[in-house]
Amino acid sequence: MKISLNWLSDYVNLPSPAEELIDVLPMLGIEVEESEENHSSTLDHVVVGKVLEKSQHPEADRLSVCSVEVGEQTPAQIVCGATNFKLGDSVPVALPGAKLPGGFKIKKSKLRGVISEGMMCSAKELELGDDDAGLLILPGEPVIGQPITDVFAKSSVLELEITANRGDCLSHLGVAREVSAYYETPVKFPEIKTTATVSTEPNQSCLVESLQIKSANCPYYTLWSIKGIKIAPSPDWLVEKIESIGLRAINNVVDVTNFVLHETGQPLHAFDVSKISGSSIIVREANDGEKITTLDDQERSLTSQMLVIADHEKPLVVAGIMGSVDAEVDQDTTDIVLESAWFNPSSVRSTARSLGLHTDSSQRFSRDVDPKGVEYAAKRAIDLILNLAGGECINEFVSIGHPPRGSRTIEITPSFVEKRCGFDIPKENLIESWKRLGFEVEESTSLKVTVPSFRSEVDRPIDLVEEYLRIRGTADLQGSKFLTPSLERDNQPSYDLCDLAVDNLIGQGYQETCNYSLRSADEISKWFPKLTKIDLALGNPLTADHTHVRPSLLPGLIEVLAHNQHNLNNLSRVFETGRIFQPGPRGNAELISIAWVNAIGSEKKNWKDSQQSDFFSQKNSLERLLHAVGLSIPKGLWKSFDDEFPWQSGYAAQVGDVHKNKMEIALGTLSLNLSKSYNIKGPVLAVEILIDPVLLNKRRKPNSFTNFGTFPPAMKDLSLVVEKSEPAELVRKKVEEIAQSVLSNEISLDPVSIFDVFAGKGLPENKKSIACSLRMRAEDRTLGEKEVNQSFEKIILGIEQDTIYELRK
Amino acid sequence: MENQNLQVLVADAETALKSVSTKSQWEQIKATFLGPNGSLTQFAKGIGSVPKEERPAFGKSLNQAKGKVETFFKSKLTHLEDLEDIKSLGECIDPTLPASPTFSGGLHPLTKTKRRIISIFRKIGFTVAEASEVETEWFCFDALNTPDDHPARDEQDTLFFPSSSEWANVSRKKKESYLLRTHTSSVQIRTLLKEKPPLRIIAPGRCFRRDTVDATHSANFHQTEGLFVDQNVTVKDLKGVLDYFLRELFGGKIETRLRPSFFPFTEPSFEVDLKVPDLGKLSNKWIEIMGCGMVDPEVLGLVGVDSDEWTGFAFGLGIERVTMLLHGIDDIRHFYQNDQRFLSQFSSQV
Repeated sequence: MKISLNWLSDYVNLPSPAEELIDVLPMLGIEVEESEENHSSTLDHVVVGKVLEKSQHPEADRLSVCSVEVGEQTPAQIVCGATNFKLGDSVPVALPGAKLPGGFKIKKSKLRGVISEGMMCSAKELELGDDDAGLLILPGEPVIGQPITDVFAKSSVLELEITANRGDCLSHLGVAREVSAYYETPVKFPEIKTTATVSTEPNQSCLVESLQIKSANCPYYTLWSIKGIKIAPSPDWLVEKIESIGLRAINNVVDVTNFVLHETGQPLHAFDVSKISGSSIIVREANDGEKITTLDDQERSLTSQMLVIADHEKPLVVAGIMGSVDAEVDQDTTDIVLESAWFNPSSVRSTARSLGLHTDSSQRFSRDVDPKGVEYAAKRAIDLILNLAGGECINEFVSIGHPPRGSRTIEITPSFVEKRCGFDIPKENLIESWKRLGFEVEESTSLKVTVPSFRSEVDRPIDLVEEYLRIRGTADLQGSKFLTPSLERDNQPSYDLCDLAVDNLIGQGYQETCNYSLRSADEISKWFPKLTKIDLALGNPLTADHTHVRPSLLPGLIEVLAHNQHNLNNLSRVFETGRIFQPGPRGNAELISIAWVNAIGSEKKNWKDSQQSDFFSQKNSLERLLHAVGLSIPKGLWKSFDDEFPWQSGYAAQVGDVHKNKMEIALGTLSLNLSKSYNIKGPVLAVEILIDPVLLNKRRKPNSFTNFGTFPPAMKDLSLVVEKSEPAELVRKKVEEIAQSVLSNEISLDPVSIFDVFAGKGLPENKKSIACSLRMRAEDRTLGEKEVNQSFEKIILGIEQDTIYELRK
Repeated sequence: MENQNLQVLVADAETALKSVSTKSQWEQIKATFLGPNGSLTQFAKGIGSVPKEERPAFGKSLNQAKGKVETFFKSKLTHLEDLEDIKSLGECIDPTLPASPTFSGGLHPLTKTKRRIISIFRKIGFTVAEASEVETEWFCFDALNTPDDHPARDEQDTLFFPSSSEWANVSRKKKESYLLRTHTSSVQIRTLLKEKPPLRIIAPGRCFRRDTVDATHSANFHQTEGLFVDQNVTVKDLKGVLDYFLRELFGGKIETRLRPSFFPFTEPSFEVDLKVPDLGKLSNKWIEIMGCGMVDPEVLGLVGVDSDEWTGFAFGLGIERVTMLLHGIDDIRHFYQNDQRFLSQFSSQV
């Protein structure tokens, strides 16, 4: 919101310089945005100069050389191209060192061979106006040499950001009240001359015959009749004020309503009586599909959720937001009715939002205008209209309903305030602070604070604490030396998990990255053709590349690889931890994911060959990670992906199911076509872990110690010939099961491990051999050779009986 | 006589071993001295021809000589084995050659800032709380005292899921809409409903706004929420904790101030302004760093905490913003582009 300091000074004495408010207002909770209008405070080295001499430039027809008095001992010599000035004129002069608003720096220089010690400026060059036709000739007799900011200080405009709770500050009088509270100087309210008596329905002299309120969203409506006015341009003082805050002057009546809106915060609407059909005004909900062409020349379709002011034919105004072209006050208007009302803030807010139509009026109604100010604003406007446009106000106005809110009294004790603030506060200070804000305070056993109607949001004791602190000032508040008594709480396990994973993967040589959670429909179709995309779609996406939440971290990681490869950066191993989103049997689920990728074709060339990563090195990487974070691989057999995008069939596999086991892992080479489509050289190995956070909720108990045998194990190897398609893990497990079942109770078996896999020479084409190593041990002795051999025989016998595996001799 | 022969034998063995360079040579030579037909063995067989009274002396010098020869062979063997071990190491290295492989892992700058923030708060007894990124209107707005028609709930600013959307592991209050959380403040609500005060939590996480990506906006970004609820917590405690935090993060020479502001879920509410003596272009200027305030009694009431007994404060700050301030980064998109030339500048874990 724009506030003109010059205008503001009509209602309250401002500090000197008035720009002090730029520092004061923020500490009261009103932010001052950096805006161009604040330029005057930055126009250093621009001063008032007086032209003493002017002569033709010897080398250039269009330039003159001037001698300008700038408040220093000798006048400055300035080369100038403008022609609109004469000797003795006062003009702004930018001296060397000045920086003009556009960023142009002034220094002493030569122009066509003549020295120029500065620059005389136009209004536009200083952003003091739009005029760039010539120099800005300063009126009156400003002091030569004085900073230009002193001359223009009063016209400064501040761009204020008013927080959602302070609708009362959306006007010059509202800001004046805050200034008044801070500086303890009274607010000067404009005096009202208009007097009129209330009537609850239009009588004979009223300019409309009927007024009906048909909606609860308009609890209070007043209508004033003025006849015989003459529409004309507004006088200079009004145009200047209206334009100073960035509005366009239109005519005396419209300008007055705008002026009063920005003066008091109460929006008003003037209707041309001759354009009201049937001489009736009806406040009602619109009909669904009803059309109105608003003053911005847009035809808008209304719904029954929207409030309108209508005549008996058509809507004339979207209530509290914008009028229609049909009832506009124009050159020929002579009689008007003026509306001043209170509309339900949320009704106006939702209508403005659904129409996408935010106006000065809707902004104020939707932040709750002061119901007690409704009448005042109307009378103020009528005073001005009669003054500027002539005419006569009918001595009776129609008022339907009542102000929905008045003042209210809050009971509070000083100790309540002290307990929240943390320091002692004399009762008098509290009372004084609230009184400065215009609240009334009555002392009894407690304090009874009466808050006026314009402060809609102050209605609880805690709100009074805030008001006290604002007026007391918060800049100098000292922090306490707080104690931190111990609490029984640990980090959320999901945080610790990712934290440990990050450290582990960094240790494994992976760079952490951070990718967008929102992805495009195309990307999801490309990567996960089987996924029901619709489940992950946003209802109101902003851009086409951010329409869905991500079902996987992998696409982001591949983009990182592609970006870095494209830029010839040495980065081929990256990871991310974060949340991903997947459809599931009982609705969507938000899951934790840890994923890492390794572009083996784009690793930096090295002078020394090192072993290339493959599925099994990634499997090791996975095991290292899981060990570090204290999780184990889900039970079950790794299953090769077969035609399952984005994985390369036969070179990637999966274990677990996040919806059943709460954890799922996919590992291997990504589809070669996919990595090719990103222009990535060579295959990309990837690991993706998905975890449902509920998996982590179990509190871990310390595991208990198991005694281990001290006698050495006896080792035996055996080699089995099996079908090539037989998963090695099945063979290993079978051997382990058989061995465990045939061994006597005294002998225990360590987990069986595979140490060799062979296919080729000496074996049939469809066969492979798998060699396993068995370690047997007894708790109480070193096993003898005979015992070991007997056991081994039993194992071999068992395998021959129970399996179709052949023993390799 | 015998002794002289023995000495010759010992000297011969020493000499013969000098030229031995392989284990097989060593085996051969060993056989010529100590084998069944070896010269030392032969010599020992001569004991039969030695007079009975000289036999002890003969035996003694024989054993001494044998011991010496065996020692020679043993140490030669050790030497040969050492040589073999060294040979297995390959050629001597050039220590100036670069590492192989060359990749090294690293931390993302946002994680680094997040960890710094958490470690500062852990020192004063805050622990990490997390909640889902998918949220519902009730947890993200209603429970935080944000009225139904508050602008923040506008479809303009918040990303909603369609009304048919169901989330199995994100609980709802009633049948309200799901959305992507716009702030980490929703973690306050989820935690307060699950755990009871006294409570001190720090909640970092990803948030979403319906924003077009540019140098200062990002469709997703990260925040850290903090919440302190206890008996007799005051505005002075809020200031004390945040001053401590900002001193730890930006150094001891900073100035801070609370500036009145407005958030629906705190009352009174403040922005924290910070002045840092050495922060590039922003040195010695008031910069807005975080929002905070005393938890509104309404919010405590909505989660079933008695606001007469418990008071508290909450705060929130942007992790991207803090990281950009700390390192002088001028474009938020760097964090999501993941260019190695950017990441490598901040990737050390300290």
